[in-house]
Amino acid sequence: MPSDMAETSRKNASGGSPMSKLFAYGDKRYFSAIVGLVLAILVLPPLLFLVTGAVTVTEPGGAWHFSLHRFPAIINQRGFLQSLANSFIFALGSAVFALVLGGVMAWLVERTNTPLKPLAYLTTIISMGTPYVLYVSAWLLLLAKSGPINSWYRQFTGTTDLLINVYGLGGMILIEGLLWSPLVFLLLGATLRNFNPELEEAARMSGAGPFATIRRITLRLSLPSILALAMLVFIRAIEAFEVPALVGLPGRVHVLTTDIYDTMHLSMPPDLGSASALSCMLLVLVSALLYFYGRLTRNAERFATITGKNFKPAQLDLGVWRYPAAALLVINFVLLLVLPLIILIWASMLPFYQSFSWAAFARITPDNYKNVLNSSRYIALLTNTFIIALVTATCVMLIASFTAWLSVRKAPGAAMLDQLATTPLVFPGIVLGVGVMQLFLTVPVGVYGTIWIIVWAFCINYMPYGVRYSFAGMLQVHRELEEAAAVSGASSVTGFRRVVIPLLSPSLIAGWLFIFLLATRVLSLPVLLSGPSSQTMAVAMFDLWGNGQGPELAALGLLWSLAMTCIALIFYFIARRSGVGLQGQG
Amino acid sequence: MRLCGRGLVAALTLSVLAAFSPAQALDQALIDAAKKEGRVVWYTTQIVNQFARPAAEAFEKKYGIRVDYIRADSNEVALRILNEGRAGKVQADVFDGTAAVASLKKENLVLKWTPESARRLPANAVDEGGYWVATNLYVLTPGYNTDLVPKNAVPKSFEDLLDPRWKGKIVWNTASSPSAAGGFVGVVLTSMGEDKGRAYLKELAKQNVTGIQVAARQVLDQVIAGEYAIALNIFNNHAVISASKGAPSAWIPMNPAMAVLSVVSVTKDAVHMNAAKLFLEFLVSEEGQKLYRDADYMPIDPSVPARDPSLRPDGEKFKAITFTPEQIETNMPKWAGVFREYFR
Repeated sequence: MPSDMAETSRKNASGGSPMSKLFAYGDKRYFSAIVGLVLAILVLPPLLFLVTGAVTVTEPGGAWHFSLHRFPAIINQRGFLQSLANSFIFALGSAVFALVLGGVMAWLVERTNTPLKPLAYLTTIISMGTPYVLYVSAWLLLLAKSGPINSWYRQFTGTTDLLINVYGLGGMILIEGLLWSPLVFLLLGATLRNFNPELEEAARMSGAGPFATIRRITLRLSLPSILALAMLVFIRAIEAFEVPALVGLPGRVHVLTTDIYDTMHLSMPPDLGSASALSCMLLVLVSALLYFYGRLTRNAERFATITGKNFKPAQLDLGVWRYPAAALLVINFVLLLVLPLIILIWASMLPFYQSFSWAAFARITPDNYKNVLNSSRYIALLTNTFIIALVTATCVMLIASFTAWLSVRKAPGAAMLDQLATTPLVFPGIVLGVGVMQLFLTVPVGVYGTIWIIVWAFCINYMPYGVRYSFAGMLQVHRELEEAAAVSGASSVTGFRRVVIPLLSPSLIAGWLFIFLLATRVLSLPVLLSGPSSQTMAVAMFDLWGNGQGPELAALGLLWSLAMTCIALIFYFIARRSGVGLQGQG
Repeated sequence: MRLCGRGLVAALTLSVLAAFSPAQALDQALIDAAKKEGRVVWYTTQIVNQFARPAAEAFEKKYGIRVDYIRADSNEVALRILNEGRAGKVQADVFDGTAAVASLKKENLVLKWTPESARRLPANAVDEGGYWVATNLYVLTPGYNTDLVPKNAVPKSFEDLLDPRWKGKIVWNTASSPSAAGGFVGVVLTSMGEDKGRAYLKELAKQNVTGIQVAARQVLDQVIAGEYAIALNIFNNHAVISASKGAPSAWIPMNPAMAVLSVVSVTKDAVHMNAAKLFLEFLVSEEGQKLYRDADYMPIDPSVPARDPSLRPDGEKFKAITFTPEQIETNMPKWAGVFREYFR
């Protein structure tokens, strides 16, 4: 970090610090303890299950003994190192690609005068409402050997080879990166929108060109947000399963998760021990990453850009470069939205999936839509799914915003809180599912078999996302604002409620939305945890997917996305309004 | 209508037992007790709209007993019951699958009981130990895309799959389940013997068979979409179901095929024990078997032929090796090991 910047930041951190610290310290400690307790109750039982599962062997009948045999077995497994390397390349590649794509879009939209900005929002909102499995299959259909791109290439050139071979590391990175770029766009967008332009203006006045300003000021000040996001995507890609299984394996690219799936399914019922052992190893890895990440963002104050001073982020005039920039937005729009949508609409109208052709065109039918709309089953599923998603998103963001606040303000036990909240990232879905299941089978509270067990599991599963969202926003809010509140007599909790939460709201709403949408479309947990009367939409989608009813899934998915997009739009406008309110105040 | 069907079946099977209506053979006391319970919980691997829902509705209609079903894959069904069992709170009354029962009975979670209506079934459809009874048969064969594989080129034997023209065009699921590479390896090793079988698999590996980790049904879907020409160890009735919708799919009666039993069991301490027994009786009865037939499955009852009878191995032109849940559970780790050795 250049010293001049640190200097500026120190100046921003007002001199009243010691007194207000005294002020804030006391009640933050209780607060920290409460949040810590809640997180521990959520996270520790499955963690305990994970660790004991990894180091014990249970005989039929329930007797068990201690054993470490799984760890060498995993490491010595043929190709383990290769898989490890693949996982790393895949995760790093996806993180970089998603960051570049989402980051450039965010910057263009938030900080320049590029035309056609609404396209970027539309893309993001709709893509976040689309079920994951649908998205991956859409891109696979597009890029497959028999997909339209390769077929047209073959028709034009008359050859039999492929223009794009999607099956491999490159294809995996491309698709995973595309999947995560909307998240990056939303989060970095929130960061950039609340950017104090003072430093940028200072740089420009000191003679730096626009690009030097971006490189030396904008990028550097956004560093914690960028790193937080990079880490999020990286870890998520390490534990991703769908893309490696659908895109990697046909190209013989094995990663840790597909390996563990193999190991786990060698026996019947699945060998959870091996999955747990690998998860423990992942846990160590992620903890190490978190440690380094923590060191990088140790002095969060240096990055705070929302201070007590009045500001309005300036928009850079791109001149003629506006048009190429707009073209980029259009390409993004086409790539992320139009193409997948076209192929899904096409798929949803066929009795079985086929590439574009006149013969297939003759088969077009509305039957899939009719089947979906006529089935009375979906109403109950819809209600369940909404309640689950609503409660999950609200609980997670509530706990997460406290966690991020305490963690960034270095409350007692802050590192512990962050670690606890991030741990769930390493739970493979099935391990978490079984952990939660065992918890509620042992604790007699009557939650087993109801929708609340799914809510509980989801809260654990999505806590890390919630925390990263809040964290990225929190890093920007300067301490001096709370200190001002404290000096005016507010307790630190009041300061949090009246000052921090309103300033954080764009990030919090974005996070809420993200989790809400995620909770409506994730498959693995509900399948294991739902009871006869607590089925969700995801379970229905899973049935269609496993049943070879891809076209009906496409129809259901599209109708679902339409509904989700409406919800997403509503929240987008709420978020936007609070964002505008934020810029206008002071 | 029902009477007529019954008479026809009796004449066809020449079986004395089949002449009795299963409903008549049932103990009225069981029916009464089951109705009193009023409910049965079924953990099923059957696809909801194809079989689980029609079966549940038919049973409810007949006895007025509600069927609450949860659908999951075989592995998850086993996991759930295992965990519920360890906590002493098994929720399921009835469960089905192809191998789950083998591990669950070791945990003492399965009731030893054979339904009355199973008496008319062939001996291999009923567990000697009394832990399960088969309801339908899955036959696993190669399937292919009829647009990509010309009629005269369709591989008819395991040897034909080694033809260089199929290099890179064959796909299978890498899982250790019957409807995947594990099952294919099992059939090859069992039918050819260890040495010859391994030699064959070594050659097959040179074909660069593409492995994916999706269910057999989706493997076939990828073949229908034209990504690959041939899929190994798919459910042959799936190819027929798709073909009836106009998809370019067909299956190959390659000898021998793998046949696995889809079996159903009652849990040991079922809360709705009588309703569970009645439900099992129902699934195995002629009436229940017809539901399987109407869903385009292969009923286990020989007197209820599948809608496409050619799907079922006749033992002459089209042979299959049948594996019980126990055989699958015992052998699968070894088959999976061989798969890893040659194909990873």
